[in-house]
Amino acid sequence: MRSAAPVVNHKAVRGRSTSLVVVLLLAPSVALYTVFFVWPQIALLILGFKDKGGAFTLDLYLKFLSDPYYLRLLWRTLLMGFATTLITVLFGVPLAYLLARMRSRWAVFLLILTTFPLLVSAVVRSFGWMVLLYRNGFVSDLLQWLYITDGPTQLMYTLPGTIIALAQVLLPIMVLSLYAVFRSIPADLELAAMSLRASPAVALWLVTLKLAKGGLYSGSLLVFSMAISSFATPSLVGGPRAAVMATSIYDLTMTVLDWNFAAVQATILFVTVLTLAVIYGRLLNRQGGVQ
Amino acid sequence: MQKYRLTRRSLLAGVAAMATTPLINSQAFSQANRFQGRSLISSGFGGSTMDIIADAVFKDFDAETGATTTQMPMQSAAALARMIAERGNPQIDMYQFSGGQEIDATNGGLTQPIVGSERLAKLPEDLKDPNGHWAAWAVIAEGLVYRTDKFAEPPTSYEDFFRPELKGHIAFPAITNGYGVDFLVMLAKTFGGDEDNIDPGFEAMAKLKGETIFAAASDIPTLFGQGDIWLMPYDTGNTFKNQQAGLPIAFASPKEGSPAVKITACIANGAPNADVASAAIDQMLSPEAQIKIARGMRWTPTNPETVLPDDLAQHVPNVSQLASLDRVKINQRRAEWADRWNREIAS
Repeated sequence: MRSAAPVVNHKAVRGRSTSLVVVLLLAPSVALYTVFFVWPQIALLILGFKDKGGAFTLDLYLKFLSDPYYLRLLWRTLLMGFATTLITVLFGVPLAYLLARMRSRWAVFLLILTTFPLLVSAVVRSFGWMVLLYRNGFVSDLLQWLYITDGPTQLMYTLPGTIIALAQVLLPIMVLSLYAVFRSIPADLELAAMSLRASPAVALWLVTLKLAKGGLYSGSLLVFSMAISSFATPSLVGGPRAAVMATSIYDLTMTVLDWNFAAVQATILFVTVLTLAVIYGRLLNRQGGVQ
Repeated sequence: MQKYRLTRRSLLAGVAAMATTPLINSQAFSQANRFQGRSLISSGFGGSTMDIIADAVFKDFDAETGATTTQMPMQSAAALARMIAERGNPQIDMYQFSGGQEIDATNGGLTQPIVGSERLAKLPEDLKDPNGHWAAWAVIAEGLVYRTDKFAEPPTSYEDFFRPELKGHIAFPAITNGYGVDFLVMLAKTFGGDEDNIDPGFEAMAKLKGETIFAAASDIPTLFGQGDIWLMPYDTGNTFKNQQAGLPIAFASPKEGSPAVKITACIANGAPNADVASAAIDQMLSPEAQIKIARGMRWTPTNPETVLPDDLAQHVPNVSQLASLDRVKINQRRAEWADRWNREIAS
């Protein structure tokens, strides 16, 4: 009894001090998030349920959900997200695989090189795309030179132009997500599969890509949510004709000064991203369970 | 007798004192270093425009009064949103607007009167608020901006936007840009409508749906350069700026009239440095500052006492030549038009 009591006390004291340390460690970020994220988000949520006079209303949500124009806006935003994700997957998988399997000392240098688009300001990068995508720009000239089109092509101020510009900036996110996963898969597994008479393509598919699914999910979730919430690129490259939720929210807040409806659109966008993130998370977990 | 003489002398002295008191006061008003250690924060238009205004107005103002003026770049619409967000606790003392936002701000109780400016008192009625809440310190003429190498004769009318040979070479600003709204109103006026009857404007603009729509003045260099654009509605100031950058473009006044945009200043209600802001706005209305602004940007002076030198006068339209749109009606309908524009023109 005598000897047991101090041990229990000691444990209790250590437990208390550990939880105190945890609280102290978390306090700054919790305080920061409460003040700068949770509270504004709640204020935004409340704003969307108010009419101009401040009374409770569901009209603004009904206005959004019953108007084909706004539903098209949401659909266009999601389409931009899906298309951008697809392009980054198509370009990112081979690139990340190559970089992860590369034995050259250039591998690290090339990896740093792929992150370059992230280091350039969105505004500067968008102006670069403007020069390329205009009717008299490089892309239009190249398409004509290759006889793909027989007249000038205007990609500037269109949704395809926005998707191209977004895919370029978000490709590094996909590559970095996949790179780490490919690195963690031993190349020996492919060799083992091939020794069991799998062709290289089948080995790549059955072993490497299936094991890399987790990286593919997390990379595409990141790219998708960043694409549909990005503002600068759709605003500068897409313009009013390729309006998406982010630019619509900006216009409502800054030009039209209808903050209540802007709050509704912001909430709908936020809930959409959150829902997709949860669905992705479920898929990720199921994948983990199988492994 | 002696008593009478003394009385007369004191009376004279009194009269003299009364006559000179305002002089002493006004001397105190323009006295050097009277804002020593004070600071003034103003919104600004950004880029080279902001630099030219700093050079024409605030550099001298700071040197004469000892104040330190800072301009924070923001577009007019964003500035008004900021003003609303800071209602009751303004961090920015003074706002500069170019899209009629001063009327919304004044009606919304976001401004306070400019005090002690004699130049404001002399400003024509349509260039200031009746209660002194805002003052127009410049006016910009809008009209047709065209590529000089593509036009044998300068364009003369808003009808030129519909010439078949220009198809694919037209650009116009979005409704979120103040000039986009003015273009819509001018199209309405050209085809039989006006601020109250905007339908002809939308009908005409729908015919330009396939043309390039842009957001801001920063797009202009690339539009005329890579964009293969030959004609757009914009203003004298940006035409001049891009001419200086080497673009072969020129400005033409349309026969339907050049809409005028007032460049205004107002003071945020409850601003901590309202007295400094009042004096700064007085400085913006001075002929010296307005000539510098006209030279730097081709903006039309508003002070009737400003006389432009001959070399400038031929490039800067006089304020009396400009047509004024009904900004009150336009501001009331902006949201409704923006929604309709998004549906009918942009999609």
